[in-house]
Amino acid sequence: MHAKFSPEELAFQEEVRGFMRDNFTPELAARIHHPKTFRDASIEWQKLLDGKGWAANGWPVKHGGTGWSATQKYIYTTELAAAGAPDVVPMGIKMVAPVLYSYGSEEQKARFLPITKSSDIWWCQGYSEPGAGSDLAALQTRAVRDGDDYIIDGTKIWTTFAQYADWIFCLVRTDNTGKPQQGISFLLIDMKTPGITVSPIISVDDEHHLNEVNFENVRVPVANRIGEENQGWTYAKALLTYERTALSGVGYCKRKLTNIRQLANQVSASGTRLIDDSDFRARLADVEMEVMALEFLELRVLSAIDSGGAPGMESSLLKLKGTEMQQAVQSLQWDVAAGFGGISPDADDELWESEGNRARREYMFGRACTIFGGSNEVQRNIIAKFALGLSAR
Amino acid sequence: MDFSLTEEQVMLKDSVTKFLADNYAPEQREAIVKNEAGYSAAHWSTFSELGWLTIPFSEADGGFGGNVADVSAVMEEFGKVLVVEPYWSSIVLAGQLIARCTNQALKSRLMPQVISGETHYSFAWLEAQSCFSLSYVSTSAVKEGDSYRLSGEKKLVLNAGADHFIIAARTAGDVADEAGISLFVVDAAHPTLEKETVRLMDGQLACNIQFKDLVLGQDDMLIAEGEAYPLIAEVVDEALVALCAEAVGAMTYLYKATADYANTRKQFGVAIGSFQALQHRMVDMFMATEQCRSLLVRAQCAILDDSAERSQDVAVLKAMVGKYGRKVAEEAVQMHGGMGVTNEMPIGHYLKRLMMIDMYFGGSDVHRRRFSDMRYL
Ligand SMILES: Cc1cc2nc3c(=O)[nH]c(=O)nc-3n(C[C@H](O)[C@H](O)[C@H](O)COP(=O)(O)OP(=O)(O)OC[C@H]3O[C@@H](n4cnc5c(N)ncnc54)[C@H](O)[C@@H]3O)c2cc1C
Repeated sequence: MHAKFSPEELAFQEEVRGFMRDNFTPELAARIHHPKTFRDASIEWQKLLDGKGWAANGWPVKHGGTGWSATQKYIYTTELAAAGAPDVVPMGIKMVAPVLYSYGSEEQKARFLPITKSSDIWWCQGYSEPGAGSDLAALQTRAVRDGDDYIIDGTKIWTTFAQYADWIFCLVRTDNTGKPQQGISFLLIDMKTPGITVSPIISVDDEHHLNEVNFENVRVPVANRIGEENQGWTYAKALLTYERTALSGVGYCKRKLTNIRQLANQVSASGTRLIDDSDFRARLADVEMEVMALEFLELRVLSAIDSGGAPGMESSLLKLKGTEMQQAVQSLQWDVAAGFGGISPDADDELWESEGNRARREYMFGRACTIFGGSNEVQRNIIAKFALGLSAR
Repeated sequence: MDFSLTEEQVMLKDSVTKFLADNYAPEQREAIVKNEAGYSAAHWSTFSELGWLTIPFSEADGGFGGNVADVSAVMEEFGKVLVVEPYWSSIVLAGQLIARCTNQALKSRLMPQVISGETHYSFAWLEAQSCFSLSYVSTSAVKEGDSYRLSGEKKLVLNAGADHFIIAARTAGDVADEAGISLFVVDAAHPTLEKETVRLMDGQLACNIQFKDLVLGQDDMLIAEGEAYPLIAEVVDEALVALCAEAVGAMTYLYKATADYANTRKQFGVAIGSFQALQHRMVDMFMATEQCRSLLVRAQCAILDDSAERSQDVAVLKAMVGKYGRKVAEEAVQMHGGMGVTNEMPIGHYLKRLMMIDMYFGGSDVHRRRFSDMRYL
């Protein structure tokens, strides 16, 4: 057992670092972190990664993936985060694509996979509904067959970036007779179809990420269904596992901790440094120790996948602990950087770029990471049941 | 020993609750926050008409003759609906600096304006490197004949629209000395004073001010030169108790609103409040709130009994309210699911306010340190 990189892996690390240095410029970073330029900058960034062949690194090689080992994936995400670069917007590459290449028809694959990889299509995820959050199978958006089409009626909510999306992948109800999970189908819907309305929901960071998407008499070709009718739940469940593995955020935590350490090392005008305060050091160490463990939890999962295993119960642990650590880091960052303010400037104010504002935005929006992708309470239920074999009441 | 509210306090609380029930629904509050001033001038007038602005001032000064418990009773109600009018900054903080100052001529001139609510004063004390220490004052006031020349910067002065600032400036001593601090009243429209308005995350408007060679006279000083620290420390201690009362009000709202939501929101065919995983956490929210309420009573008693440990009790209150206020609000957000992270629901606004309350005059770490220094060293 060892955790050393081979010479090839070290060379790969250098390559990733060099790529980040040359391509993720401060100018691009500023645009990608700003709400007004986020959309275009994200597309630009994904195109840069795609040019290098890295955008869809987790896909099967025949569809344009890289065939990287777990170690390489780890190196890649670590370097990405260390450079402060965001991962690709997940809805396309990480969420719908695995369903497409696993269950889609040849036509669907040929039509959607290349443009998804090259970021020429923006996807959003239409699962949750006002009445169906944690209990996703309770979803009620109806799809009624009419010749070669389905007619869709219903409401999706919390749809991230629907305002930018060209297409939405949806879970809809095609049958109401059996168990709730059994009557669900997986549909791809063009957002330009008549009858779709997108309304913004402003979140607690005062920004617009979320939306409500209404469907009224929306006509969708049956050809846009993935796989079999009423089998959508099976496909979606497989997808959720991918979504969760992508959520540990170890790289993000490590980068933030480095940043917090730098801030705490600055000598103030009064000659003091926060890092000299032993209370603060203890808090920092508490978080760092957890992240060190989390890093190796992730490596263990990756290495199991590498040797032919599937992301299993450990992936739930990763999301659980990973999101909790992201929030711990964000709280710490708030205390260090937002100590003067918790300001909420307008997006075109120069204070927007301040450490304090960043700390506020990340802390506030970070509250959501224990809610989406299956809330942490639901994750705990799953782990209790499947990993520990505990029975529900 | 008696922790019950007086009849007057109960009546006061009732009148506050009644007004807020009619005027401070979440949509009404949202409209108020969007005002240019960041609060409602009409509500402020009503506060004045209802006599709330006079509460902490002595009868001799034209006030109601109330104490920290009376003010806290009001602030707790304010906290339940997140009142944004500058009661705390104008009446409790700046108002008390003026009411307890020793410059009688200045006091008799300013007092009527403060009590009537006509004029807003705001205490400008925080500096960039002060680490929230009250005695860290690098703003200088250099004496020249009968006048003083002030230069410096103050951060996050509450109520950006205040008419006057009360500036803490150093007339002698080293930057962190308690001795040598003076308090000056200055017109916010003074030409030498530059002001930058910033919106805080809880929607309030604060300002950063900057001045160089701003000339003021002896008459503008609230208390004898260099002797302001004890006054500041006393007033801030009491003001922090009132602020924590607001926080306890906000926490009370949160645990109740979360329990209500959990009883109505259904998933998996049942109310989510029936899940023990959530029930126990709501119990913890309630418990944290009551721990803070107990410390609030403790700190009020310490002040009213003129206890030697009052500063210690206030530090503990502020430390625990900071920590648990954030915790309770974070839990409330979590248990509301997606609804908790929208600006449309009130929950997130309570989180923002409690984050800011934690920050004012130093966060929970700062006050835990203050307590442990006083207690163990
Ligand atoms: C920022 C953000 C982005 C999102 N993006 C998308 C998106 O793009 N597409 C999409 O489809 N959805 C999206 N979602 C929705 C997300 O998946 C849901 O919010 C989530 O599933 C929780 O559902 P809910 O909000 O209805 O909360 P609820 O299910 O009502 O849960 C409320 C609380 O009850 C708890 N709870 C529920 N059931 C149990 C149980 N059995 N035991 C214990 N506790 C329980 C929950 O953990 C939570 O704390 C997003 C959400 C957020 C916050």
